[in-house]
Amino acid sequence: MKIDKDLILKLEHLSKLQLTEEERKNMIGDLNNILKMVDKLNEIDTEGVEPLTYMTEAVNVFREDEIKNQLSREEALKNAPKTDGKFFQVPKVIKK
Amino acid sequence: MSKYETIIGLEIHVQLSTKSKAFASDDVKFGGAPNTQTGVISLAHPGTLPKLNKKQLEYAIRLGLAIDSKINPKNYFDRKNYNYPDLPKGYQITQDKEPICIGGEIPIYVKGEWKKIRIHHIHIEEDAGKSIHDQNPNFSLVDLNRAGTPLLEIVTEPDLRSADEVEALMGGMRQLARYLDISDGNMQEGSLRCDVNISIRPFGQEEFGNRCEVKNLNSMKFARKAIQYEVNRQIKLTESGGEVQQQTLNFDPATGKTSTLRTKENANDYRYFPDPDLPPVVVNKEILEKQKAKLPVLPWEAFEVFSKKYQLSDDKAIQLISEKSTAEFSLNLMEKGNSNKAISNLIIQKLKPWSQENSCSISELPISENQLLDFIELIDNQLVSNSIAYERLFPLLLENPKTPVKELAERNDLIQSSDTGELEKLIDEIIAQNQGKVKAYQNGKKGLLGFFMGQLMRASKGQADPKVANKLMIEKLG
Repeated sequence: MKIDKDLILKLEHLSKLQLTEEERKNMIGDLNNILKMVDKLNEIDTEGVEPLTYMTEAVNVFREDEIKNQLSREEALKNAPKTDGKFFQVPKVIKK
Repeated sequence: MSKYETIIGLEIHVQLSTKSKAFASDDVKFGGAPNTQTGVISLAHPGTLPKLNKKQLEYAIRLGLAIDSKINPKNYFDRKNYNYPDLPKGYQITQDKEPICIGGEIPIYVKGEWKKIRIHHIHIEEDAGKSIHDQNPNFSLVDLNRAGTPLLEIVTEPDLRSADEVEALMGGMRQLARYLDISDGNMQEGSLRCDVNISIRPFGQEEFGNRCEVKNLNSMKFARKAIQYEVNRQIKLTESGGEVQQQTLNFDPATGKTSTLRTKENANDYRYFPDPDLPPVVVNKEILEKQKAKLPVLPWEAFEVFSKKYQLSDDKAIQLISEKSTAEFSLNLMEKGNSNKAISNLIIQKLKPWSQENSCSISELPISENQLLDFIELIDNQLVSNSIAYERLFPLLLENPKTPVKELAERNDLIQSSDTGELEKLIDEIIAQNQGKVKAYQNGKKGLLGFFMGQLMRASKGQADPKVANKLMIEKLG
């Protein structure tokens, strides 16, 4: 995979981050290094090995349909960067 | 007649009627004050883990069994990644690769016929919170009560050909969800909504045209308008030599128009991957059997019985299957009684309106089955006329459900006289008192029969059997 500025811009868009030109240059280098490291894994023959998604063998872990452990509104909004006491306030996502 | 055929596929979202959320134990009731139904999982606090609501799995399987889907024995959950404030985790938990139900079909009743709509798959997912954009000039407001609400998404094959069929499927879906007791199917409260995929092709052409998806239609009126607008737009574009571009559209109810939300090129990149927080779900025999046992009679099955076995008209059969309780009640009563027409009339004209007026199920009717069957027998044996039975005896029975129905009729003097001697006497009196009108009748003014019958009904206090009385009156008038 080619790591170039276009890819960095796409990743910025997807992660809602904005880098400076300087940071972008560094990021291209870092990502290339990361990919090179991960590429090492391709040297191992994984023919016939199922992908490992889960770290445990557990299956069918369910919850009963009960209401509990709810937070009060005050608690829910406590860490919000901005709130009016009822809602989370976020930058306008739709321009009118 | 247009030379283009409309091709429609739906993605239907059904909100399940659980108490708590899909992967967290917050309340999911509708209409709570903003941000009062959240918890650390819905708010995506670090270190918290989701855990599947058992009911959500069960409801999904029940729906799949009802429509003959294959139930996937091994289920995984995937993360659909997107950054938007209505889901603080930055992803929605869904099933991308291995949906719970594969295939199946839903029969819909449209324009007097049943048509089967094939289902591509059904998957389990969670809803996002609600963003409000028009209350504050500087900010969007976010309410996370809905974030994490359990949903099923039902994806159809492109088998629908008109807005009528879309309406029939949405109505059928609501009905089925209520039969299965998995959702209230209430479109006003957002428990049932759909994305509509629309394309056109010239009649006779095999290949589909490029499709456009109209997002989030939460009423049939809007869905109809959106389809109509979109079909016209695509035909105009094609006719003028253009090509329909695959895209996602928004429908604006205020203008009745669709507008571009995303084109194919800038489609969202959701970077799906398996959610390691949720262990796989294996649907074993025990889980399957439990849901099989919960399957009620299904709307199209009940229709078949009403129309084939009990020989009722399609129109009546459709009315009887509208709600599960009505269908079950009717099937049961017809099984025991022997006058299906009279039973269906009683249910449609009296019992259904009663349950609507009292906003309760027909099964809560205070009158016992035997009493209802006796009531019908009185009509059948012409001991009480149809109109007297419906207008007078039924209200009395509602007030005195325990009094044997025949006793009630006798006590209130409702047994009709089909004693012709009595009737003849009354008719003779009427003829004697109205000689002028009798002459006019005999000279061809046949419309006067109504007048004579009115007199007779009054004289007999409404208890004359109308059929017998009518016949006698015509004979006497000569």
